[in-house]
Amino acid sequence: MSDTTPAISIRGVTKRFGDVTAVSDVSIDIREGEFLTLLGPSGCGKTTTMRMVAGFEDPDMGNILLRGDDVVGVPPNKRHVNMCFQNYALFPHMDVQQNIEYGLKLKKVPKDERARKVEEMLAIVRLEGYEHRKPGQLSGGQQQRVALARALVNEPAALLLDEPLGALDVKLRKQMQLELKRIQSELKTTFVYVTHDQEEALSMSDRIAVMNAGVIEHLGSPREVYERPATPFVADFVGVLNAAELTVTSVENGRAVMTVNDRDRVIAPAEGLNLAAGAKVLAAVRPERIAIAKGRADGGEGSRLTGAVAQIVYLGTLMQFHVDTAAERRFIVHQLSSEASDTIDQGDEVTLTWPVDDTSILTVGD
Amino acid sequence: MNPAISKNGRRTLWVAFWFLVVFLYAPIVVLIIFSFNDSEIVSFPWLGFTTRWYHDFLANPAILTALRTSLLVATLTAIFATALAVPAAIALVRRKFFAKGLVSGLMLAPLVIPLVVLGISLLILFNALGVPLSPYTAAIGHVVIALPFAILTMVPRLERIPAALEEASRDLGASAMTTFRLITFPLLVPALISAFLISFTISFDELVISSFIAGDQATFPVYLYSQLRLPERLPSVIAVAVVILVVSVIVVVASEVGRFVSERRLEAQTGMAADEYGSLRSGKG
Repeated sequence: MSDTTPAISIRGVTKRFGDVTAVSDVSIDIREGEFLTLLGPSGCGKTTTMRMVAGFEDPDMGNILLRGDDVVGVPPNKRHVNMCFQNYALFPHMDVQQNIEYGLKLKKVPKDERARKVEEMLAIVRLEGYEHRKPGQLSGGQQQRVALARALVNEPAALLLDEPLGALDVKLRKQMQLELKRIQSELKTTFVYVTHDQEEALSMSDRIAVMNAGVIEHLGSPREVYERPATPFVADFVGVLNAAELTVTSVENGRAVMTVNDRDRVIAPAEGLNLAAGAKVLAAVRPERIAIAKGRADGGEGSRLTGAVAQIVYLGTLMQFHVDTAAERRFIVHQLSSEASDTIDQGDEVTLTWPVDDTSILTVGD
Repeated sequence: MNPAISKNGRRTLWVAFWFLVVFLYAPIVVLIIFSFNDSEIVSFPWLGFTTRWYHDFLANPAILTALRTSLLVATLTAIFATALAVPAAIALVRRKFFAKGLVSGLMLAPLVIPLVVLGISLLILFNALGVPLSPYTAAIGHVVIALPFAILTMVPRLERIPAALEEASRDLGASAMTTFRLITFPLLVPALISAFLISFTISFDELVISSFIAGDQATFPVYLYSQLRLPERLPSVIAVAVVILVVSVIVVVASEVGRFVSERRLEAQTGMAADEYGSLRSGKG
């Protein structure tokens, strides 16, 4: 086994349930020590993919390799991965210690060593002194930590987490996100994380695989996925997005210009896209990339759209402007509340501007 | 109280409720009263308090033999019905298979088959196979009728044990058998006890099937029924009936209370998150 062997290699995996294709020809190599998130709406195949890695489902086609060995057909108890379940699945009749040492006991690890490892794990998940509590006596966050410890104590080749924070309230969830990240960097274990929460995915992952209808639509770093989404679905699912259907009027110097009227235009980088004048495209920009100014502003060489403010929403740290633009789309603009201008009111004419590189072309029609 | 019910409606419901209570329990109360009546004729007037009928039956070896036979049959029935109900309930709750509806219908069919029919069929079957009738053949018959009740006691409990617990155990390295031994079985114990007691009770007071296939060793209900022909024996039969009644009520109430308590515990422990109550309780404990 070389250092470059992926911890998990999913190769062309397909899974059907009756007529429904849950997972369709999915391939990913997950590196040792990586935090990879499968992100997507419910029913997109992310949980099925994870369950196939754990061994609870068998793929209809394709291979799954754990550190280079094909494990298709190997039962879950013979696979060197461990899973954290959605509602923790702690054994209610066992205390914290018995829960955590369950896997070690099955591996016939001697008692002293078990006790030592349980203690180590409890320190890592910060639950020292809880050895003899029953799961029913723990809060949701504490149960989550026990579930983590129970899986991690086996030193798995990869830890699979199935929406582990879904049952926690918002504040606890944020806290556990940081905890998970800390634990992962401390132990350097490969984490495969399933969630439908894009914020969670963006804040924790090394890479994100955005799934939709059984296929991976985009695999990349959080930044890539957010800033250069590969498909309209990814753009829409990850964060808020303004998208407008426009017609390319000219392509020059690797830039596509989409003129809306004699004043307004959208300019996007066009490298690698086979674009010509007349092509219909879906152009998109993130709300926080747009600058908003009252009246008619120039905005330099980038994109420029004029519009009227339909609504202003105060979101605490952010101000959100809903602007009906000349591109026949309502755009959402985010400004930091501390920097947002107080002078813009509902109904005002405004100019939206943003740099060339912040526009992405999502689809090209004809 | 439901505000949609008028005052008259409420009164009607109240009357109906008490009518039902009297209808259900009056015969039992009468039975208890007469078991202490100092008269060989089971009717009023009340001729004084006595415990002689209780002494009588304790001194009667035939009654005690019949009791012992019934205890043997009921114990065997409870053991086998419970043991068979475990895999049956697991199959019905956890597995998907072809014609599951039909299979579950077949397993529960003895609930609706008349006992007389079952009794005769078993008698014919044992004769055809040349199996001599005995308490053991009676136990076989009782397992048939107790099994559906045992299964139906276990299914709801099993449904409330999340399948994820079994998956977690498999994930941590346990085989299917080990998972059953360490996870499913311990969590199923309260239901096992309930199923055992219910099967035991069903067998213990079963008359119809026993009268066909118990052979010449009468079970207790069969013996009691035969004694009804002899009027002077009736009062001690009543005394026996009261003893059995009291014991059955205690057993059934105990099993139901035990099941209720453990259900509550399971719920608290597998709930999504422990509530305030949970953390308060842990603070005290």
